[in-house]
Amino acid sequence: MQDAIDALRGRGLSRIESAATADELEAARIDLLGRKGEVTALLRGLKDVPADERPAAGAALNRLKLELTDAFAARERDLRGAGEAVTGLDLTLPGAAPVPLGTAHPLLTVLEEICDIFYGLGYDRGDGPEVELDYYNFTALNFPDDHPARDIQDTFFLSDKTLLRTQTSPVQVRVMEQVTPPLAYVFPGRVYRNENADASHSSEFFQIEGLCVDREISLVDLRQTVDAFVERFFGAGFETRFRPHFFPFTEPSVEVDMQCVKCGGKGCGVCGQTGWLEIMGAGMVHPRVFAAAGYDEDAYTGFAFGMGIDRIAMLKYGVDDIRLLYENDLRFLNQFRGVL
Amino acid sequence: MKISLDWLADLVSWDDTPEVLASRLTAAGLNVEAIETYEQSWPGVVVARVVECGPHPDADRLSLCKVDTGDGEPTQVVCGAPNVRQGLHVLFATVGTVLPGDFKIKKAKIRGVESRGMICSASELGLGEDSDGIIELEDAPAVGTPADELFGHRDTVLDIEVTPNRPDWLSHLGVAREVAAIYGTKLTPPPVIKPPANPGHGWKVEIEDYAACPRYTAHGASGVQVGPSPRWMQNRLLAIGQRPINNVVDITNYVLMELGQPLHAFDGERLASDTITVRRAGRKLSVTTLDDEARPILADDLVIADGDGPIALAGVMGLANSEVTESTTTLLIESAFFDPGLVRRCSRRLNLVSESSYRFEREADWDMVLVAARRALYLLQEHAAAVISGDAVDRSDPDRRPRPDLPLRVHQVNRVLGTDLDLERASDYLRALSLTVQPLSPQVEAKTVNLMVGVPAFRRDLLAEVDLIEEIARVHGFEFDGRSGRQASHHAPVHTREDEVRTLLRRWLPAVGCHEIVTSTFMGRAQLDALGLAELDPRQQCLSVLNPHHGGETLLRTSMVPALVDVARRNLNAGAPAPVRLFELGRVFWPEGDKRQGKHELEHLLPEEPRLLMIGIAGVTARGLGGVPADLVELTGLVDEMAKLLRSELRCVPGDVEPYLVAGLQWEIRDARDRRVGTVGRLGQAAAEAFDLDEPLGLLELDLGRADLTPAPVTYSAFSRFPAVKRDLSLLVPAEVTYEAVSGCVRESGGNLLESLELFDHYTGKGVPDGVAAHGIRLKFRSAKGSLEGATVDRAIEQILVALSEKLGVRARTS
Ligand SMILES: [Zn+2]
Repeated sequence: MQDAIDALRGRGLSRIESAATADELEAARIDLLGRKGEVTALLRGLKDVPADERPAAGAALNRLKLELTDAFAARERDLRGAGEAVTGLDLTLPGAAPVPLGTAHPLLTVLEEICDIFYGLGYDRGDGPEVELDYYNFTALNFPDDHPARDIQDTFFLSDKTLLRTQTSPVQVRVMEQVTPPLAYVFPGRVYRNENADASHSSEFFQIEGLCVDREISLVDLRQTVDAFVERFFGAGFETRFRPHFFPFTEPSVEVDMQCVKCGGKGCGVCGQTGWLEIMGAGMVHPRVFAAAGYDEDAYTGFAFGMGIDRIAMLKYGVDDIRLLYENDLRFLNQFRGVL
Repeated sequence: MKISLDWLADLVSWDDTPEVLASRLTAAGLNVEAIETYEQSWPGVVVARVVECGPHPDADRLSLCKVDTGDGEPTQVVCGAPNVRQGLHVLFATVGTVLPGDFKIKKAKIRGVESRGMICSASELGLGEDSDGIIELEDAPAVGTPADELFGHRDTVLDIEVTPNRPDWLSHLGVAREVAAIYGTKLTPPPVIKPPANPGHGWKVEIEDYAACPRYTAHGASGVQVGPSPRWMQNRLLAIGQRPINNVVDITNYVLMELGQPLHAFDGERLASDTITVRRAGRKLSVTTLDDEARPILADDLVIADGDGPIALAGVMGLANSEVTESTTTLLIESAFFDPGLVRRCSRRLNLVSESSYRFEREADWDMVLVAARRALYLLQEHAAAVISGDAVDRSDPDRRPRPDLPLRVHQVNRVLGTDLDLERASDYLRALSLTVQPLSPQVEAKTVNLMVGVPAFRRDLLAEVDLIEEIARVHGFEFDGRSGRQASHHAPVHTREDEVRTLLRRWLPAVGCHEIVTSTFMGRAQLDALGLAELDPRQQCLSVLNPHHGGETLLRTSMVPALVDVARRNLNAGAPAPVRLFELGRVFWPEGDKRQGKHELEHLLPEEPRLLMIGIAGVTARGLGGVPADLVELTGLVDEMAKLLRSELRCVPGDVEPYLVAGLQWEIRDARDRRVGTVGRLGQAAAEAFDLDEPLGLLELDLGRADLTPAPVTYSAFSRFPAVKRDLSLLVPAEVTYEAVSGCVRESGGNLLESLELFDHYTGKGVPDGVAAHGIRLKFRSAKGSLEGATVDRAIEQILVALSEKLGVRARTS
């Protein structure tokens, strides 16, 4: 029996292979697998095989049948496909999308990314004018008139009452005038300083301000918020530290350092060999700011923080000159494809 | 503020390297920005004796000398100093020495005579200003002694950023106080004179306005010999960047840097009266200050005056008429307390910031007024032969009250800091900072005052409870696990439509090839003029910066077009492949726009700040459908797509709006309320030339604030699954008939089975009569009830063709 199967396999496969037209192939199929075909004949002969050899012989026959079926299908594809095959084209030529991909500006992408992190922490987004009253930019933030604290920020004045905001902090008072605590807000936006541009200073840049006010907000909440932000933005494993500082509108005031993103704290050129990078100023909202916003000073406590988005973007992408962010050179922007 | 560690070590002790000291000061809030080394050293310069000195054979003004440097044969050297003579002990720079300013001493021939080295003047060594002659050493030091042994000095200087609230840190004593608190060591105040027993020194003081000058003290000294100050004092002043002048000036300067109290020394003999008065100037006049500048002062400025008139601008600078000179023998030393605001206004108006005004405008230390003067008198006695004949005249506001003690609630401390401090800890922290503490209630609970805290005069910044809380935090440190008062927030942020629109556009526009740009708020007048706006166009009204920085533009932009054109031009010039597609989401400033609504009464002074979207496509020369430039076809197409993206109605309607766009090739963008909210068009020739742009530029401008971008609700509605029947029409359209008219007519006449129509071809030229365009239009019919019969569609087509022919004179093209 096995010999007969092997013989039929050889004969059948070569017949399928040599079929030159669909008709010839169909004739071969009938002869081999048809109701009166050779495979069927062998199947019928199984009953004459001794009982103990019968299962093995049956399996072998079945396998032959499947083998021939596959061979028919393959040959059929060959015969049918011959007409549509293509030759002679250079398939290494470049593809072309309808338009080449554009880019979002990395500075604003970082701004949105920071906002997204704070949305996740339950913050809303607020906004204020860039041309601001002296009152909101300074007086309401506890910068007294004729006080040296006003020298900290070189200001572009538009009149004796109006100026280009030097910080996003004036939005704090504007929001508190409208909203009753508990509240948590971020205010991103453009700010202005009257200084000459160099690799690390621009007279126009972007800041983001955060404000959180409730009945029992403490410095510990500020610390936890800062740490949560650093972990979500820069990744886990960067330590932070608070250093006492002075801002008129927070008390206590701190500057926040994080371990250098480049060297991890060992010291390098980016961090001036200190291992630390200053990333924001922060503090507990000064009672006089609450008073300016019309709150009962004693009813609430809160924290505020502010950071320069340009600096954060530069750290994130290793940009070493702030002016690159405002030149809008496509050789720069194209490096941020896919960063949305 | 620069702090000399050599100096600081007189006042306090610490046992750490400068780097560790710096980091501990930084942690306490005195941000050390730099650690510098100050060194006075002259390797190769030694003491020598002039053993021979005669005239140079060939030059009248030069001397030919031999000097003994102690190592064998005397060395021959040519010297040009008038005071060189035999027997002098001098400082001699040997061959190979490099002097300050990279001046290398070489063997040289001077007027034919060999000279090996140089006898040095003070200025050549950087030891002083004197360049008229060589240094004559006193007490005959041994020849060969290195100059470093006599004059060398090495110091480490910390450059500390002092915030405006801490004027007490603008002195070595103030920093020493912090060092003492950090290291738990003792503060050693510098020596001062004991006040003389006999009262008065002959001068009287009158204060006309106690509000302007709450305290003025005057101190006399006679027998003064003006000369150089001692070397150690010069070294310390040089180390912190101060220029030594003479002993009297250096001593007042030294005391200012040491104790933070500005002093002023008048030449007593040059004063016109026994009485000096602190008063307002009373009238406008011009005075000459110590820096030899003529300065205008106003009637309201505070001055110190003698019988003849002003002798000093209070707290800012003395006048030349009473300046100490080399012949001065009698001094009147002023130590005072002036109103900070008054000093600041005068100093700012005159653009004259002195070390004195800088400190007075941050408020002087009441208790340091007398101490500082007594310190100066001590140093004058020691180093200027001064005789102190009588005690100071001390005038102060009789109504001035001591600063009240501050109440402190420990509960509030813990509430703000998240700490769990008890009464004792809080008290300890305050005492560590030299504050006095008087306990009241021991109950730490809300609203209970636990302590009354006395604040020393040097802490001008401690004015309220919250300031004490900050001090406690500073001592306690910021590394602790404490109590959080913020409940885990389940608040879902409220996103405004403005936020959504911005996010959608920033994600979509890059996908259609646009690059986002961020350009300056500032704009030049020439850029605005290039747009050729009408005189009455509100965008002609710009806010302008009163104090622009050097070279900066002064106007706040009222249009974003100039900046975008500039970015396009620079990128094309830099070789960016065309087309360059750019977009910006930004603000402009319209002072004539809608007034802001707000709580403050001056809110109306602020401009409207509309948020605009600008898109520009530069460098496209191809023509698109119907001969319209391809960039404009793309931009009007983007408006349609944007409308879908924002689920709002936005459409382009032909019409000329902007003078800087090509006439006849412009569209208004209209919103759902049919208001004009933007424009699309091609930058015109005149503007392109003004901007120096060679390539075509298509522009889209959309006012995102004004446009009604309310999104259509997202609700599913059922659609027909029956197959559509498509029919293509080829129409001959007379030139004066627009596509809008054709498509409108088709829609109207097509019946309710007509699902959509789409222009797939627009052709003029060969095969089409002149004055006619061939429109290829694809119609799609579908029914919600079943498959459409061919005959039904034929009837609809028939109706359409009849309507087109009757209403518009449009015929079907027969092939
Ligand atoms: Zn580093």
